[in-house]
Amino acid sequence: MSKYTLNVNGRSHSVDVTSDTPMLWVLRDALGLVGTKYGCGIGSCGACTIHLDGKPARACQTPVSAVGGKSVVTIEGLDPAGEHALQKAWCELDVPQCGYCQAGQIMTAAALLKSNPRPNDEEIDRAMRGNLCRCASYFRIRTGIKRAAEIASGRTPVGGGWK
Amino acid sequence: MKPTRDSERPMMDRRQFVKVSALAGGGLLVGTYVRLGELGAAEPSAAAAADFTPNAFISISSSGAVSIIAPNSEMGQGVKTSLPMIVAEELDVAWEQVTITQGDLNPAFGRQMSVGSQSTPSNFLPLRRAGATARAMLIQAAAETWSVSASECSTEGGVVLHRPSNRRATYGELATKAASLTPPADAPLKDPKDFKLLGTRVPGVDNPKIVTGAPLFGIDVQLPGMLYATYTKCPVFGGKVVSANLDAVKAQPGVRDAFVLDGIDGLPSGVAIVADSTWNAFSATKALQVKWDEGAVVSQNSVEMARHAEQLAMATPAPALPNGAKVVKAVYHYPFLAHATLEPQNCTAVFKNGVMEMWAPSQIPAVGQGLVSRGIGLEPKNVVVHITRLGGGFGRRGSNEFSIEVAAIAKKLEGTPVKLVWPREYDFAHDNYRSNGWHHFTAGLDSAGRIVSLHDAFVKMQGGPGDMNATGFPFIAVPGSSVNSSKLPGGIPTGYWRAPGDNGNVWATQCFVDELAQAAGREPVAFTLDLLSDASAQNGFDARRMTQVLTLATEKAGWGQQRPRGEGQGFAITRSMGAYVAVVADVVVSRDGDLAIKKITAAVDAGTIINLSAAEAQVQGAILDGLSAAWFQKITIERGAAAQTNFRDYRMLRMNDSPRLMEVHFVKSVAPPTGLGEPALPAAAPAVCNAVFAATGKRIRTLPIVTESLKWS
Repeated sequence: MSKYTLNVNGRSHSVDVTSDTPMLWVLRDALGLVGTKYGCGIGSCGACTIHLDGKPARACQTPVSAVGGKSVVTIEGLDPAGEHALQKAWCELDVPQCGYCQAGQIMTAAALLKSNPRPNDEEIDRAMRGNLCRCASYFRIRTGIKRAAEIASGRTPVGGGWK
Repeated sequence: MKPTRDSERPMMDRRQFVKVSALAGGGLLVGTYVRLGELGAAEPSAAAAADFTPNAFISISSSGAVSIIAPNSEMGQGVKTSLPMIVAEELDVAWEQVTITQGDLNPAFGRQMSVGSQSTPSNFLPLRRAGATARAMLIQAAAETWSVSASECSTEGGVVLHRPSNRRATYGELATKAASLTPPADAPLKDPKDFKLLGTRVPGVDNPKIVTGAPLFGIDVQLPGMLYATYTKCPVFGGKVVSANLDAVKAQPGVRDAFVLDGIDGLPSGVAIVADSTWNAFSATKALQVKWDEGAVVSQNSVEMARHAEQLAMATPAPALPNGAKVVKAVYHYPFLAHATLEPQNCTAVFKNGVMEMWAPSQIPAVGQGLVSRGIGLEPKNVVVHITRLGGGFGRRGSNEFSIEVAAIAKKLEGTPVKLVWPREYDFAHDNYRSNGWHHFTAGLDSAGRIVSLHDAFVKMQGGPGDMNATGFPFIAVPGSSVNSSKLPGGIPTGYWRAPGDNGNVWATQCFVDELAQAAGREPVAFTLDLLSDASAQNGFDARRMTQVLTLATEKAGWGQQRPRGEGQGFAITRSMGAYVAVVADVVVSRDGDLAIKKITAAVDAGTIINLSAAEAQVQGAILDGLSAAWFQKITIERGAAAQTNFRDYRMLRMNDSPRLMEVHFVKSVAPPTGLGEPALPAAAPAVCNAVFAATGKRIRTLPIVTESLKWS
């Protein structure tokens, strides 16, 4: 067991875990932040996507010992009020089915929108292909990303939004 | 009122007290009394006096708060929202006024099974009655208060109105009075044309929690002092532990205990590892060495099964065909499938004072309760089951073996809560797979291109669902048609996978019908419409409704336009779980054989639509799930075990594979609602395979599609 000081969602946390423990399990078991999900453990499904210094990362492939002083942001800390444009769009369009993958989808999409505020379909495909949705809610995820782009830019939705 | 249980409920917003009472309700609701206190209510008994709880599902406080229980497990199909909507519609309250709470496993809540697309059809009438009964009592309370006739009173958005005297009272104001009344036996139900909430788009009630990462799912359960467990079973199905290096495992970091479990009714033998974190439990399995008695199933493999299946099919040849008929033969094969719910199997339990308290992501929690009751030797009432949200079900979470696994571990750790999580690799290795299947079709066409004979020699694994007979379309359109079903020896566990049977059999039959249309030289939609006009009404098959959705889907999809080589449209139809579905697929296949699905158009007759948003989402998701399975997925058996271990070697549909255009059209209907978790799945794969044929001339008769070459020149 080793002690680590981590910056998670803007707060400092101390944990005492085995040094090869992935951030996924540090977040879930040691810090009780269960929004980051376990799906595959091999970086293949994207359910555990977090932001490390603003870039999307697979928490299951990120050992706690490699995090150091980097800023960790999880779905719980994406927006202080839970009102990120993606979170609003997801609720407005009723994107989730079972919902298990959606934290990872939103974290990946948030990084996409940060670097590309108006992504087209190809750009959405490229950014989101690492995030598996077992319910295959892809149609609404795609629509949700576009809607979030509108919300973030203050534009009124084409065709008046959700019908 | 006195609560009989006040348990740790980290998953819930509010505490829930359940008490059996003699208060009458309607039908399934008789003898139940549920009270939901407000979040953090300091003195539940004080608030209780003012509450109006006409039945198990509804609670109205004098403050005006309305709570409705969601009885069934939510796994993405939308029932945590749609079932309370049914209550709210008849109760006549504004949806924004309502708080939804997931019910625990409790006989008072009726049929708590999320299987077979039956949650909506089986609950529709009971939940309407629950709402209507409460509404009638609130009207009666107002009428007595105002000394007017109940028939002069109406309701609107949680308020009772007496228009002649222009008086009004909120449900909250009437709650205490209503609680003193006897529930009527037959409160009037709304005319469906007056539905205000049903049929509209209502977002899922858990969405705010989902998008902010709040605890919801079974795997999210956290209890004070909780430990974490894995349970390792023999990779070969039916194998048993002979011995294990438990001392070495116990020496691994964070491991608190390791032990063999064997001889417990309903629990396959295996090794439990208990640790201080999920990671340490998972890591310790790498140090675990088990000597297994692999048993008889080790001799089974997919190659041998295919050989055996062919022998069985050949042993049941088609009857002689009418003289002069053109013979069309084809063999279709689909493989085993895993469920691969994104949330791996898991369950949490604590055994204390003779009571096993469990938090189960289960589609049929009563099955888990039964397993634990028998295996551990407890009265069912001493197995308390809280239903969590499920990170996907698809039929996987009906079998509940995780319940008995964690219960056996929790029994051993008496007093300490324990969360069992299956590593993804265990989830693939110990599924109840969709059975593989083979269809050997033989058909005869007369000179006019009509099917005069149709035979299917079908083979699947012994046991489980998915058997085949001649009572469905197209067999019911061909007099004298026959299906002969043979079984391979059991041993590989098979079970319910979204739209059991139909998920493979509709693919095979709908592709074969397309082959027959081609062999007959007919336009395929016209060919199927003719077949539908010949179809009998077996099992309630309504050819008119089927025709209507096929016509609607093909119209909306622009069926019949000329397309260049490499582009094609295909369609398929199914009546599944009572719903009528037609799917049209538009595909493009490159010369190199790369398949792209451009557009999906679906038409669905599912009777009354409860929640339009969830209904549409289920049709979209089920279609893409069907495509994902047909395009990419296959479990192969080697040495009596599954060869695939994770999403690396079990590919699933991704964003970049998904069609960018999807249209879902519902037939407007006031017929009783069907479910929609499954019906849209089966027609997706044959629509795409038939479209691939139209584009390339290549028939896909073996799934998954990705294993077939689609190159053309």
